[in-house]
Amino acid sequence: MPEWISIIIRSIILITVLFFFVKWLGAKQLSQLNIFETISGIVLGGIAAFHTVDPYNSFYYALLAMFVWFIAAFTIEKLSLKSKRIRDFTDGKSTVFIQNGKVMEENLKKEGYSTDDLLEKLRNNDQFLVSDVEFAVLEPTGELNVLPKRENRPITLKDLNIAPAPDKEPQTVIADGNILLEPLANASLNPTWLEAELEKQNVTIDNVFLGQVDHQGQLFLDLYDDHITVPEPAQSALLLASMKKCQADLELFALATDNPQAKELYDRNQKRLQEAVRRMEPYLK
Amino acid sequence: MTVGSQVKTCYATLKSIEAGLDLLHASTTEQDLKTTIDETSQLIKIARQDLHQQIIHIDKQEPQYKS
Repeated sequence: MPEWISIIIRSIILITVLFFFVKWLGAKQLSQLNIFETISGIVLGGIAAFHTVDPYNSFYYALLAMFVWFIAAFTIEKLSLKSKRIRDFTDGKSTVFIQNGKVMEENLKKEGYSTDDLLEKLRNNDQFLVSDVEFAVLEPTGELNVLPKRENRPITLKDLNIAPAPDKEPQTVIADGNILLEPLANASLNPTWLEAELEKQNVTIDNVFLGQVDHQGQLFLDLYDDHITVPEPAQSALLLASMKKCQADLELFALATDNPQAKELYDRNQKRLQEAVRRMEPYLK
Repeated sequence: MTVGSQVKTCYATLKSIEAGLDLLHASTTEQDLKTTIDETSQLIKIARQDLHQQIIHIDKQEPQYKS
């Protein structure tokens, strides 16, 4: 067998083997790899490269070596999933740098961080004043995570005592002009509904690049033909607007009439509408 | 526009709101939203019925404007 054919065959086999090994080892991001995973990744690649270009080496040795390295990395990964102690050893532990607003100098020294390094990491997290930080921890990956003091945290709806309407994830039901059945079923809708909705908006399915359904069942479309403008769904906004209008009308009647009985009736119903608007507003916005 | 027809317009809007709520009730899968719609729908319904009495009253008062 000529050498070049041998090299081609070896390459193809090793690529396949390497691909499956890496796949079985799990798809972590490179920065999240612990020390064992990094080393075994490099060695696996090295063995593959070495044996691809050297046709005089035994190919079975290559497979054997790769298999051993793969098994080692695989076992350590599975073991570290089971036991916290092994995980601490392989992945490393996180180190607290700032606790209760105070810098832990010992820990800084242990990790080899100078004040400048700490300040730089804090600035990466948009914290320019150490006194704004309640808690900061250095993760094993070398990333610093920061918890600002209560008053420096971004405001949330909880802080404002606003109860938001629950929001489910939107489903992508049309991609590249094809109906995607599974997401459609997730939104408990069917193709017939989709066709009717497309007809309502006066577009054909071939022209739709992307279609998404939100949790209220409203369809948003993006077309291939950007000259056609699709109306944005405004059903819910319209409903809310007509409720508000009705309430305002009733208020007006109550003001306009002189009959105390009628005034009382309009006022009563105006309040009912107001209550209705208050209840529906979070959902219809 | 007489007061009577204004009130009638308002009555029609209430009806359309009720229908809109029903539509939303049918198209959503969220239990939370469904219960809120049920409650709201009840409120609107009471308001509509109340207003209906007023319309009859107004029509009786000024039959020449009855439509």
